[in-house]
Amino acid sequence: MKRKGLGFYFRIYCKILAQDLKSKMSYRADFIISTIGMIFTNISGFISFWILFRSFPSINGWSYYEMLFLYGFSLVSLTPVQCFFDNNWSLRQYVYSGDFIKYCFRPINLFFYYQSEVFDIKGLGQLAFGIGTLAYSWAKIGLAFTPLMLLKMIVFLITASLIMIALQNAAAATCFWIQNSFYVLDLAFRFKDYAKYPITIFSPVFRFIFTFVMPIAFIAYYPSLVILRPDEVPLLSWLSPVFGVVFFLISYRIWMYGATKYSGTGS
Amino acid sequence: MSPIIEIKNVTKEFKVLNRREGLRGSLKDLFSRDYRTVRAVDNISMDIEQGEIVGYLGPNGAGKSTTIKMMTGVLEPTSGEILVGGNVPYQNRTKNAQEIGVVFGQRSQLWWALPLVESFRLLKDIYQISDADYDNMLALYQSLVDIEPLLHKPVRQMSLGQRTLSDILAAFLHDPKIVFLDEPTIGLDVSMKSKIRTLIHALNREKKTTVILTTHDMGDVDALCRRIVIIDKGKMLYDNDIEHLKGFFGSYRTLKIRVDGDLKTQADVIQNALRDFSVSADDEWISILVDEEKAKVIDVLGQLQRSFSLRDMQLEEISTEEVIKKIYEEGVQ
Repeated sequence: MKRKGLGFYFRIYCKILAQDLKSKMSYRADFIISTIGMIFTNISGFISFWILFRSFPSINGWSYYEMLFLYGFSLVSLTPVQCFFDNNWSLRQYVYSGDFIKYCFRPINLFFYYQSEVFDIKGLGQLAFGIGTLAYSWAKIGLAFTPLMLLKMIVFLITASLIMIALQNAAAATCFWIQNSFYVLDLAFRFKDYAKYPITIFSPVFRFIFTFVMPIAFIAYYPSLVILRPDEVPLLSWLSPVFGVVFFLISYRIWMYGATKYSGTGS
Repeated sequence: MSPIIEIKNVTKEFKVLNRREGLRGSLKDLFSRDYRTVRAVDNISMDIEQGEIVGYLGPNGAGKSTTIKMMTGVLEPTSGEILVGGNVPYQNRTKNAQEIGVVFGQRSQLWWALPLVESFRLLKDIYQISDADYDNMLALYQSLVDIEPLLHKPVRQMSLGQRTLSDILAAFLHDPKIVFLDEPTIGLDVSMKSKIRTLIHALNREKKTTVILTTHDMGDVDALCRRIVIIDKGKMLYDNDIEHLKGFFGSYRTLKIRVDGDLKTQADVIQNALRDFSVSADDEWISILVDEEKAKVIDVLGQLQRSFSLRDMQLEEISTEEVIKKIYEEGVQ
C-alpha cells in the first residue's frame, strides 16, 4: 500500500467535493431554495445589526464601523466550519441509527472521510457577504492596506476558523457518549452569535467564560484587535493562533477517541 | 500457507447499565454505577483459509455481528487474539480496511446521490486501485452480471436488490483478500437471491476471495458454504463441513407415500410391517422416517409396493435448516 500523505487526501477531497456538488445540483429546487434562504438569513442578520447600532453609535469605545468589522470578521471566520464541517450536525443520527459504522471500513482517516462527505455550498454566500462587510468597514475606518496587514488578517482569520471548528467538533463528538447531543451542538452554535461583539461589553463573568470556557472571543474579538487596535494588543491576541491550532488538535483527538469507543448497534 | 484469519480464544464483553423501570428508575439510572457485564462473544477460536466461504450462523443476538466487528477492526476484543491477513485489525484499522471488503446488512456504503460508476471511481482513488486492475474488475463484473443499467443510476433510485448487488460489487472492487457479507440476501426476491449467490460464488472462484457470510437464509448456506460455524449466546457450537453436520444427525430421510383407503388405518398397518421406523400420517401423506443405516429407502419402498398399491411418493432429505434448528435448540451432544 502506498503512503497516504496530504497530497492524497487533497486529491480525494477534491474528487468527493466535485461529486457532492454534482449531486447537490441534481436536487435543483433544493439547491436554489437553500441558496436564497442563506442570502435572506444574511440580510436579516445585517438589518438587525444595523438597527441595533444605529441607536448606539458607539459602545464602550467601539465605533459603528469597528463593530461592523467584527461582524464581517466573524462571518468570514465561520465560513469554513459551515462549508467543510457541516456533517457534524448529522453525526448524532449516524451514531444513533448505527449507520456510522460504514465510515469505519475505509482505508482512510475516519475524521477526514466523515467530514468530506458533505460540502455545504451555502457557506459561500456567507463568505461573500462577510468579505464585502470587511472591505467596506476597512475602508470606512481608514485602515492601511499593506501586505503585512493582509497577512495578519489571513493568519487571524484562519485562527478564528480553527477555534470555531474545534468548538463544533468537540460539541458534535459528545454524541459518542450521550444520546441527545443535539443540545450541546446547538448550544455551541448559538454561543457563536456572541462572537461578533467585543467582549468588553459583557460582564467579567461572561468575559471569563467566553475566553476560557467557550472560547468564542477568539472567533472575532481577540484576532481582530490585532488589526483594529494595533497599539493595545493583549497577549491573548498574539497567542490566539497557537490556541487555534491546539484547540483544533484537541477536538480532533476527542472526536477520534469517541469514534473508537463507538461500537455500533446490532443488525 | 498460514490461515488468512486466525482467531484465538477471543472474548468480548460489554458493560451494560442495569436499568430500572419507570420514571423514578430512569432518574436513578442517571447516577447509577450499577453495571453488569455481558459476554457477547465467549472464548471463540477458529482459523479460516484463503479462498474459503464460511457460513457464520446463529440466532439473533448470538454474537455474529460482534465477531465481525472485531475482525473488521471496529471493536477491540476484551481478550484473545485476532489476526486478519497478518494484521491486528483493531490496531491497524486503516491497513486492515485495505485488505477487506464489507457489506453490512442493509446499510449501503455507497454515496447515496451518486450514480454507481462515480462511487466506483471514488473507491478506485480511495483504495488506490490501478487503472488496469480497475478495468479488469469491471470487465469481470460485466461478464458475471449485467451492470450496464446499474452503472449510471444514482444509488438512491435503485431497488433494494440492485443496491445490494451494487454494494457487493463495491466490496469486491479493490480485490480484497476477505469479504464480510452480513445478511446479503435479506429482504430480496427469489430471483435476486439466486443472482447474488451466483455472483458471490463466481467472485470467490475467480479471485480466491475468502468470504465470511452471516445469514439466516439456509438457501444461502446450501448454495455457497462448504464449511459452517454456528455460535449461540457467544459460544461456538459447531465448526465443520456442512456434510458432516448432516451426517451427524444420523442418515435419516423421510419417505412419504400415498395409498388407497384411509391413511390413518393404513399407517397403523404399515407401522406393524415396519417395526424399525416411526410411521405417522396426516391428511395427505403417510410419512416414514427411515434410518438408512438400518435399511435403504429403496428397499423399504420395494417392500411397501408388494403389499400396497402406492399412488404417489416423495422423498425428503433432512434440511440444513432443520439440523441447525435442532442445534440451536438442543446443542451438539
